[in-house]
Amino acid sequence: MRDALFMGRMTAQATHEMQNILATIRESAGLMEDLLAMGGEGFAHAERFKKGLGVLAAQVERGMTLSEQLNYCAHAPEVCPAGSEVNDALRALAVLFTRIAARHRVRLAFAPGRAGLRTSLRAVEVMDLAGLALDCALPLLARDAELCLRVVEQGGLAEARVEGAPYAEMTAQPVFAELSARAGALGVGLRPGPQGAGLVLALPAPRA
Amino acid sequence: MNKQDWKILLVDDEHEFITTLAERLELRGINTRVVFDGESALLAVAEDEPQVMILDVLMPGIKGLEVLERVKRTNPNVQVLLLTGHGSTRDGIEGMRLGAFDYMMKPLNIDTLIEKMESAIDYAGKAAKLGQ
Repeated sequence: MRDALFMGRMTAQATHEMQNILATIRESAGLMEDLLAMGGEGFAHAERFKKGLGVLAAQVERGMTLSEQLNYCAHAPEVCPAGSEVNDALRALAVLFTRIAARHRVRLAFAPGRAGLRTSLRAVEVMDLAGLALDCALPLLARDAELCLRVVEQGGLAEARVEGAPYAEMTAQPVFAELSARAGALGVGLRPGPQGAGLVLALPAPRA
Repeated sequence: MNKQDWKILLVDDEHEFITTLAERLELRGINTRVVFDGESALLAVAEDEPQVMILDVLMPGIKGLEVLERVKRTNPNVQVLLLTGHGSTRDGIEGMRLGAFDYMMKPLNIDTLIEKMESAIDYAGKAAKLGQ
């Protein structure tokens, strides 16, 4: 845990730097846009220049989303007396898992639940368990299929659901044993989704 | 009040970022003064009180929130807009408690920033009238 906290601290510093870099790129691109708007009539390549600035702006947005979620991950090992916010943890996981899903040619969707749903687990534990559940499902999906990570409130408690693959086949995946052991150790319920479709992680209640 | 009459102080240790932002504001007719650390910000406020100070929270030396606290003690009419980063929403909220007008996360949208500066200047004008 000490290692994770240290790496988290280092990563958080790096994400702050990334944010400053992205902010500077955005301002510089904005300045070029301003100057072009003020006197670009005679510029033969104005349209191509504008297109390039549009690409820069889109990439800055992409970088911001990524660094924001990476910053969240950096703080995820920290212990918080109030527990962790389930939507935040799983949103960060979904953003960072998108590339892993893409390697399987699968589209990963995230469906948040009620805002403010919490669990006593640390954010890193919620992310780890849901990540293992996604690992169980990914090899089973057809090309271009959608895998959904959904947060549901059940009897006042938070559940993380992985929808898109049959539960029985997920349990046959080698990584399922690790998921099952981790879930047991953390007091997380593990069961099939409705009609045996998908997998449900029933997260423990936040501390009173 | 015309934008040309606004007095804006920009404070951030990220030189390229803050000088480019100043340039963009100047293209829109807004005059700014730029400083790169908390100590210089306190001096700039004492020398020539701005209406609005755009203040980065994370700076080496005197931190943004301490600058805010000291400025609010000496020059309460200065309206402060804090620039926060990832995971520092708490700093933004703490800043509001200490008297900041508002906070924004980097990277900025320049139109939103100008709207917030305008609101801060309106607020400062009304507050000054009430104080008279």
